[in-house]
Amino acid sequence: MTGHHIATDKLLLGVFGALLVLTGLTYGVHYLHLPDPWSIIVAMIIAIIKGSLVALFFMHLYWDKKFNAMVFITAFIFLALLVSLSLLDTVFQPEIHPGF
Amino acid sequence: MANHTPSTQSQFFQHHFVDAEQQLDASKMGMWIFLATEILMFGGLFAAYIIYRFWYPELFVMASKELNTLWGTVNTVVLLGSSLTVAMAIKSAQLNQKKNIAINLGITLALAAIFMVIKYFEWTHKFHLGIFPGKFYVFEGIDHPKASVFFSLYYLMTGLHGIHVTIGIGLMIWLLVKANKGHFGSEYYNPLEITGLYWHLVDIIWIFLFPLFYLID
Repeated sequence: MTGHHIATDKLLLGVFGALLVLTGLTYGVHYLHLPDPWSIIVAMIIAIIKGSLVALFFMHLYWDKKFNAMVFITAFIFLALLVSLSLLDTVFQPEIHPGF
Repeated sequence: MANHTPSTQSQFFQHHFVDAEQQLDASKMGMWIFLATEILMFGGLFAAYIIYRFWYPELFVMASKELNTLWGTVNTVVLLGSSLTVAMAIKSAQLNQKKNIAINLGITLALAAIFMVIKYFEWTHKFHLGIFPGKFYVFEGIDHPKASVFFSLYYLMTGLHGIHVTIGIGLMIWLLVKANKGHFGSEYYNPLEITGLYWHLVDIIWIFLFPLFYLID
């Protein structure tokens, strides 16, 4: 009836399989105890890939109007602004405020 | 302008839309804008997490050991599975397989309940140890003056997420009732589609909470 894309079983199960593999991967890498910055970097890269798979295929953004993707990405841009501007203040303080 | 014939429209078609497709697109766009505000609401807590992790990196390594990585992983798989069944329910509606809509919604509901039961046991186990948020924290097992900060963030972030899962359970029950009345089919499945978007966002937030709390040590 409508022009909306219908995902196939094969695709949905394939995405689910990929999400399970990535969950197993991030669980496994955690036990390797990578040196300090790399542990969180690898974990976040895997989380971003997993989140993107869910957004693109389960939430249909891959086939959807680009406007919806723009709304979604804009939220993350503003979140990045909030985090980066806050960090500019908090990271460079010589001492942490006692109350915090 | 599309020249639609009312006789072929679903009973849920609103007359102020040009056609059913425009009605679905409008509700989806509204939901995406709501999801953007959800990201910003959780974003404040993520920002607090990042700032505290920069300040007390050693605390996060020590305190994370109190969280059970296995149960966190199980809950991740449970939520991913529930996202799959929601996507399956929408696909079933698009293909007019009305029975499969209810089956997939039922599995989603069961998985969401399993997630909350596991979360309940995780929280009550910590309460038993004296791990409470903020000034109520009385656990002695972590040798760090700011140990309560980690768990305040943990309770706030998994708590807000848990509230969203609970609301999602309510929405799934509502959808199941409507599905059993035969309201959804290929010509109309808007509530399924936008509740699905909500549910997947809750899943995405958990995808980030899981490594940030359970996979540090």
